[in-house]
Amino acid sequence: MEKAYNGSSPPAFSVDVNEKGTSSTSLTQPLSDGTADAAARLSKHVSRHETGCSDSRESGEAGEDIGRSTVLVTDSPSGGTVSNCVIPEPGSDSATNGFTGSTMVGSKAGNCSAITAVNREEMDRNALQGISLAEKNKDSSAEELDACHPPLNFVTAAETVESLTHSCNGQLELSCTAASRTGPQGLSNWDTDSVIQSTLSSDAVSRPQINWSTTPDKEAKMANGGLFIGPSSAKLHTETVVTIILDGAATGLSNTKCENPSSIAVSAREGHDESCNIREEPDEAGAQPRTQANVAGDLSDGATSNLTSQGLPSSPAPTKDPCGVSVKPDTCQGEEPSASGHLGDDPSSRPHPQALRTRTVPNSLSYDSSTFLSPGDEDGETFVELGAQGHSDLRFMDVSLSSRNTFESSRRQSAPGDIPEGLSVVSVDPSELALQSKRPGIAEYFGRSLFSKKQREPKGPSQNVPGWKLFGKVPARESAPKDSRTIQQESIPDGLTSVSTPNLLSAGEFEARVGKAGPGGTPAGLSPTQPQQSRRKNLEFEPLSTTALILEDRPANLPAKSVEEAQRHRQEYDEMVAEAKKRELKEAQRKRKEMKERFKQEESIANAMVVWNNDILPNWENTRNTRRVRELWWQGLPPNVRGKVWSLAIGNELNITPELYEIFLSRAKERWRSFSETGSETEADDGASLADRESSLDLIKLDISRTFPPLFIFQKGGPYHDLLHSVLGAYTCYRPDVGYVQGMSFIAAVLILNLEEADAFIAFANLLNKPCQLAFFRVDHDLMLKYFAAFEVFFEENLPRLFNHFQSSKLTPDLYLIDWIFTLYSKSLPLDVACRVWDVFCRDGEEFLFRTGLGILRLYEDVLLQMDFIHSAQFLTRLPEDIGSDRLFTCIAAAPMLNGNKKWSQVFNALIKDNKDVDRNCNPALKSS
Amino acid sequence: MEAIWLYQFRLIVIGDSTVGKSCLIRRFTEGRFAQVSDPTVGVDFFSRLVEIEPGKRIKLQIWDTAGQERFRSITRAYYRNSVGGLLLFDITNRRSFQNVHDWLEEARSHVQPHSIVFLLVGHKCDLEPQRQVTRQEAEKLAGAYGMRYVETSARDAINVEHAFTELTRDIFQLVRSGDITIQEGWEGVKSGFVPNVVHSSEEVTKSDRRCLC
Repeated sequence: MEKAYNGSSPPAFSVDVNEKGTSSTSLTQPLSDGTADAAARLSKHVSRHETGCSDSRESGEAGEDIGRSTVLVTDSPSGGTVSNCVIPEPGSDSATNGFTGSTMVGSKAGNCSAITAVNREEMDRNALQGISLAEKNKDSSAEELDACHPPLNFVTAAETVESLTHSCNGQLELSCTAASRTGPQGLSNWDTDSVIQSTLSSDAVSRPQINWSTTPDKEAKMANGGLFIGPSSAKLHTETVVTIILDGAATGLSNTKCENPSSIAVSAREGHDESCNIREEPDEAGAQPRTQANVAGDLSDGATSNLTSQGLPSSPAPTKDPCGVSVKPDTCQGEEPSASGHLGDDPSSRPHPQALRTRTVPNSLSYDSSTFLSPGDEDGETFVELGAQGHSDLRFMDVSLSSRNTFESSRRQSAPGDIPEGLSVVSVDPSELALQSKRPGIAEYFGRSLFSKKQREPKGPSQNVPGWKLFGKVPARESAPKDSRTIQQESIPDGLTSVSTPNLLSAGEFEARVGKAGPGGTPAGLSPTQPQQSRRKNLEFEPLSTTALILEDRPANLPAKSVEEAQRHRQEYDEMVAEAKKRELKEAQRKRKEMKERFKQEESIANAMVVWNNDILPNWENTRNTRRVRELWWQGLPPNVRGKVWSLAIGNELNITPELYEIFLSRAKERWRSFSETGSETEADDGASLADRESSLDLIKLDISRTFPPLFIFQKGGPYHDLLHSVLGAYTCYRPDVGYVQGMSFIAAVLILNLEEADAFIAFANLLNKPCQLAFFRVDHDLMLKYFAAFEVFFEENLPRLFNHFQSSKLTPDLYLIDWIFTLYSKSLPLDVACRVWDVFCRDGEEFLFRTGLGILRLYEDVLLQMDFIHSAQFLTRLPEDIGSDRLFTCIAAAPMLNGNKKWSQVFNALIKDNKDVDRNCNPALKSS
Repeated sequence: MEAIWLYQFRLIVIGDSTVGKSCLIRRFTEGRFAQVSDPTVGVDFFSRLVEIEPGKRIKLQIWDTAGQERFRSITRAYYRNSVGGLLLFDITNRRSFQNVHDWLEEARSHVQPHSIVFLLVGHKCDLEPQRQVTRQEAEKLAGAYGMRYVETSARDAINVEHAFTELTRDIFQLVRSGDITIQEGWEGVKSGFVPNVVHSSEEVTKSDRRCLC
């Protein structure tokens, strides 16, 4: 895995290349908590936005030619809750994705144009015109897709720019949240640079990147970067299909996933899945300020712009640029000038068919719409699927880019202009409307945050990226409008079989496809040879070149192939193709299965959430100790209620109020201020106690950036950086006797991921006030030894062999338990697993921390028995990252905390008592002596 | 499997928090530099083989300790079983240099009846412009305590190898001269399984050849 690290901004982007040669890029999108940084970023992007809007408006009024864009406003921002519901119907739409059962696009109205605008000067005028999936050519007026859900709003692009934006924001929110949870966090932070790097690493598409890099304007970059898709699409040169699945009427987004089957994807997918749960905001209150802030932050980053504001569907918009820029990977390689040169120069080259489709799904308020944006490419399409699905809330989003051979379809989809026609809204659920009406507040919020800081920014990049063109082919622009439906259908056939297998197509097929592309879609200038050439440059992508080698005749100066040989070659080639196809099919099946499982999981989580919300939480005191609740609790808390349940379970013995938190926070801020004025440089405060100094100031700052570094949300500039700083700072003022101790930052971070700021602080303070935590964080060594001793009692009882092995290798429990207990496993276990441990820790108390330790030892007993001291110690302090929560919990369940018939507390108290007895015995002894 | 080693030395790495202890060790044991790394809570473990002379390999077991003051009551328990130590300060952070004395006192008082061979390490020497501690004063301090002084940079991989091997050599000399002896119940120095004749000659010739190349 490679991470492209962008110096200036927190590393936002990581590219993951897996064995298949597919690379996935995951962006980490920090939730912005409204930190200054975020704000700054926001403003930057916002300004862009604004410009775009105003421009578009102007243009609209002027009656200029506005590219038509369809914007689907699926959702208007709800107070934090996203009301877009798309019901994932696995299978029905699957054709599109191939691997995903369903293709749904919930697109929020986005004005992609804003983003796109960034790059072009013309865009300025047209800028906001909607979501532009469309590629922008210089000459092209902004092509927007504004598909408004009729029920929701039908907004004409020009008029409702603002509203669109709002809606976009909403979408952003969705995406943002999702991102934050999952991991495509990078969006916000995303810089072009990073993008570039990522792209490079994953696919050798240097060209497009170069262009990007050259563009001085950050915004431009952002535009591109906004959606990972951008870069990816560039690489693929294929169609970009963005599907957003929003499901559920309810509230939060929990997961974001990105899959990038093909190569470029930006996907947070695997890793993020799990993490999603963890990070999800449990609160339904998507409406909560924080969430909003996040959204806003995201927007600001600009990443959002691509994603959502522009609407998810719009994401393609960013792609456009990239597309234009990138051209085929092959070409990218640099041999062909075309890639960069084409950008924007060729007006003709812009095939961005878009189709929006709205569908009503039975049973749900939601509708799903799928947008296909395709910069038609010969090679394949990039399929981006964003799916947010949840039942009551959006639970996960899927962003996947896969390259497909949807060349055909893309061709047909060609002109952006067509889009409006293409948009078909089957039905809209009235309930949806209702939901929306409830959310105006949020929308406003977003709008405010978006626009308040608007400034006009010169669109510098536009010169650099004048437009884009595909391989010098004539753009599909002139092509006849296609019905979106048709498009989708068409794409379907390809979808399954050829998912991510552009390479499998033989040249002949390819050409055939091109030929088929139809009058509308086929660019006039497309020459069959070109794609091939370009392909050859990138072997990874092009089995086609192999085809040529094998199947073609030898050069004239060499003896011709014999018939048998030619036949053999053909046969071998066919076998290879068949093999590859089979693999693809298998892969697709696996993916589908995975998706199904995920749906299932989502469903069970959704069900559990309903139970928690409706039955348990309203009646907390009476139900919390019932067997049913405890069992449900053991299964893991649904992310949306997690924070709430933690809060309730941890309690507030200290009676801390949010006001109190504010007081301590302001005190902490004062201290920081005075420190920065006097302390840092002069070194004058040598007299101050080391502990005091450390506990309060420097160390917190340094440690915050070292907290969950892979998430990139607590680092400087990350959305949660200040939040974490505040909570820890306030705590050191609240409990100067404890102060800051390393390890706390992890606990606070986990709480912040699940709770609002003040609630997080309250939970934090109360949690650390528990006897076990107090003993550890005060580093009461004697008491800690008691805990270790008690642990050893149960260790020996449960795992005698391993216990003896550790004894003989002198591996004492303190060596691994300290790290585990101090951070409550949040540092050593994967975050999602750690959260599940926290769930039950909140239920069972400290005992469960040690029980978890036993579970880990049991889980790895066989391995550990083979290891010597140092390897065991290393192993236990750096647990495998693939540790699964189910397996672990099975092992934990198999470790009853019973010593004989004594429970943990009895054993522990006995140890304490022993100590006292010893003391008592000693004292008389002392006296007598 | 486990390569053959003559001795195993347990080294402890101490110093203020954020002077770069973990980064230095990671550079040495993993050969890479991480921009960000978790803060060490409690203690972390590393190991690596070092060849101090052809055919003579020492296994280093490195204990990376938490630097925060608060953890000293925990980490001080780990001094006793260490034979060597790297005492780090950050050349761009004067305070960490001033604390060197405290660290030494802390270690000396908790290592009884054994002793630790220390090496003073001025870390982050790639940040020359921000230097707050001159080489001279650091050398002077090291001399006063009978330590060697090395300036290292994990980021630029300066002197990292050198620091660890020098310390290892010093300890090895002391072991060979009998100043440090292997004791039952003490983990500082362990004898590797003694290579039998065939094995050792193989090892020697192999490494000799490598050296000649």
